Amino acid sequence: MTWYLVRRTGLLVLSLAAAGVLVFTLLRLLPGDVAATIGGLRAEPERLAAIRADLGLDRPLVEQYASWLAGVARGDLGRSQLNGSSVGAELGRKLQVTGPLAAGGVVVALVVAVPLGTWAALRSRTAVGTGISALAQVGVAVPTLWLGLVLVLVFSVRLGWLPAQGFPVDGWADPGAAARALVLPCVALGLTEGAVLLRFVRSAVVGVLHADHLRTARATGLTRGRALWRHGFRNAALPVVSVLGLQLAALLVGAVVVERVFALPGVGSMLVADVGNRDLVKVQGEVFLLVAVVLVIGFLVDVAHRLIDPRLREPR
Amino acid sequence: MRRLARIPAALIAAALCTAACGTGDAVDPGPVASGQEATPPDDRLDLDATANVRAVLEPTSLNLFGTAGAALDQVLLDNVYEGLLSVDPDDGDRIVPRLAESHTASPDGLTYTFRLVSGARFHDGTPLTAADVVWSLEQQTAPGSKGVYAADFDAIASVTAPDPATVVVSLRQRDTFLLWNLAQRGGVVYRRGTDFASLDGAANGTGPFTLAGWNRGATITLRRNPDYRGARPKVAQVVFHYIPDPNAADNAQRTGQTDVQTAADPTLLRPFTGGGFTVLRGTTTDKYTLAFNATRAPFDDPDVRRAIRRAIDKRDVVGAVGAGTLIGSAVPPQDPWYEDLTGIDAHDPGGARELLARAGFPDGLAVTLTVPSIYPRSIGDVLVSNLKEAGITLTVRQVEFQTWLSRVYRDKDFELSLVDHAEPRDLVNFTKPGYYFGYADEQVREWFAGARSAASDAERDGLLKKVARRITEDAAADWLFLNQTHTVVREGVYGVPVAQTSNRYDLSALAVAR
Repeated sequence: MTWYLVRRTGLLVLSLAAAGVLVFTLLRLLPGDVAATIGGLRAEPERLAAIRADLGLDRPLVEQYASWLAGVARGDLGRSQLNGSSVGAELGRKLQVTGPLAAGGVVVALVVAVPLGTWAALRSRTAVGTGISALAQVGVAVPTLWLGLVLVLVFSVRLGWLPAQGFPVDGWADPGAAARALVLPCVALGLTEGAVLLRFVRSAVVGVLHADHLRTARATGLTRGRALWRHGFRNAALPVVSVLGLQLAALLVGAVVVERVFALPGVGSMLVADVGNRDLVKVQGEVFLLVAVVLVIGFLVDVAHRLIDPRLREPR
Repeated sequence: MRRLARIPAALIAAALCTAACGTGDAVDPGPVASGQEATPPDDRLDLDATANVRAVLEPTSLNLFGTAGAALDQVLLDNVYEGLLSVDPDDGDRIVPRLAESHTASPDGLTYTFRLVSGARFHDGTPLTAADVVWSLEQQTAPGSKGVYAADFDAIASVTAPDPATVVVSLRQRDTFLLWNLAQRGGVVYRRGTDFASLDGAANGTGPFTLAGWNRGATITLRRNPDYRGARPKVAQVVFHYIPDPNAADNAQRTGQTDVQTAADPTLLRPFTGGGFTVLRGTTTDKYTLAFNATRAPFDDPDVRRAIRRAIDKRDVVGAVGAGTLIGSAVPPQDPWYEDLTGIDAHDPGGARELLARAGFPDGLAVTLTVPSIYPRSIGDVLVSNLKEAGITLTVRQVEFQTWLSRVYRDKDFELSLVDHAEPRDLVNFTKPGYYFGYADEQVREWFAGARSAASDAERDGLLKKVARRITEDAAADWLFLNQTHTVVREGVYGVPVAQTSNRYDLSALAVAR
């Protein structure tokens, strides 16, 4: 296990380094630059050149990359070229919205997927099982954007239970208000992800139900439910945890859409705006951090696999 | 089994869609109020109210001096910062006094004397003096100035302060645009010695509101300035909510999260026609301009450009976006030199074909339009079908705005381009030699220069009318429509700006009933 952890950590560090280079170079391939955002349509070429020089954008790319990397190594993700705000501090504020949003989305997804998926597996040859599978198909097909709009129309506009959009100006100072603002976004995000996950849970449980060891367990006198509970879930969890790890990345992408529908000041809407303004120092800090989050999640999923499944720990 | 399961899924999805997708089909915005109710007396107002206003574009910075973007003007100009003069968009763009209570011009038009109001103070408590005005204007006229509007003041020779309440501006040559330019953000007065890079953190203006906070990505809060010299604002606080999505903005307004929705989508106004809201319609300076690359064949031939102008039915375009005014030139009706030029090269597909044949394209033409993806896709659809009638095959290429900026605006790599020229009074673009249109006409340049140094406003207006007519006759571009802006106001909210709301948004009259 220790050797595995060392190897896996080494791989993580290498991936992060490669991600840093990729993020930096890919952003430099985008047409347009921040000088045009600052100077506007009226700026003459000389003025744009002066803005670029002020921002250090006329330096060689290698030099720009080195100074960014040096900052990242110190834990400093840089500053916005437009308004000087600290990338780290702003990401911190945005994650106060996107973090709970993604976490809430996962909770909703799990609450939907695990019981319903298991139920659909246990009743796979009945109307109930088919019905659940059909619903899951609908859930996968329905765009998050549309689902968000419908939720708002029903629960905010018609019933007036929850806010239609936005996040409290003072953030989590009033936790009740902040949580209320995130209920519909979490449901919109979680239902779509939950539908995807449900299908994996169902097929994983169906697979386990037909496994030899479960039949043996049944033979010892356990009911199907008890056998599944004692000997099945741990096995069924393996593919589900993998998918959940992959889905977390999808969740971040979904957050971009949900944040727009609900006008939430989160990481997604910030990224879209910053790319549009070509505030590249800010974008590369943000993207790098997100990539790091996804890579670390992958790392944790792999480690979790080993912990759940002792067979993986055996040397081959 | 799997295949069967898909059928109910598709059916449910279709049923859900018909139930909830029906909000985007209305084009008629319904009844639009002709005016606002008069603001009731103060004892019936909630003077401690917070007014919530939906806006679309968030500023990228709060450095009003050095960062471009109408979003900065919208929130900061007149509210937080003031110039010597201002403009009242709801009164036909009349220039009105602000920090200067009066001004006079010498008979030769080379010297302007401004008398400052008394009692003006910056938000940090420092009294405003003529020295601050001199310093601020010198930041614009200094060589290599970082001011976005610095070029507006190149006629200024010197700015002096003979006494603390008087400012004298001396010009190298007459400039009939000076007062207008002073009323824009280039004329804003900052405290002497302001470090513009610090404006993002701490605003220090003289206006009726102070900047209370910027929650990036969401809101900007302005608070009433208790020490304001003039009439105090009637609300304690105004929060600008930046909500780009039109549906989210509609929902915010319907559920009372916002009191005022600026720039409402004209095709989504139906929920506001049932009472409880007023819909106001105002003009803008947003000229949706179809530019031809006149440096590239076949658009160097005026006949080809005119053919395209004739092929487009501007009423179809307006129908597709929901609202708009036909202008027929680069001048909106609120400018003093406006003239109705919609009759020049009016819609005439047959005439367009004839012009094309004369230009050597009897079998039609295939052209590509580059358009930023922020504009309604429906405009492109209308153009494709309109041009097809005249034998022109149009390909619409949607690009991100920054791509448009570098590919079309900077590199001039395009055939047709569509963009909203939102700046007020920007006829000057047709006189710039290297501008992306590639339009060059010596006579137009001469008239424009003559207008700027004209002896009277009447002479100026006459010359600018000639400019507008000439560029229209030459088909220097096509002007699809002038945008109209719709503001949805909750019942019990008064004094809301109506016209040109994305350029400046004076909140001094905004009031909320008890």
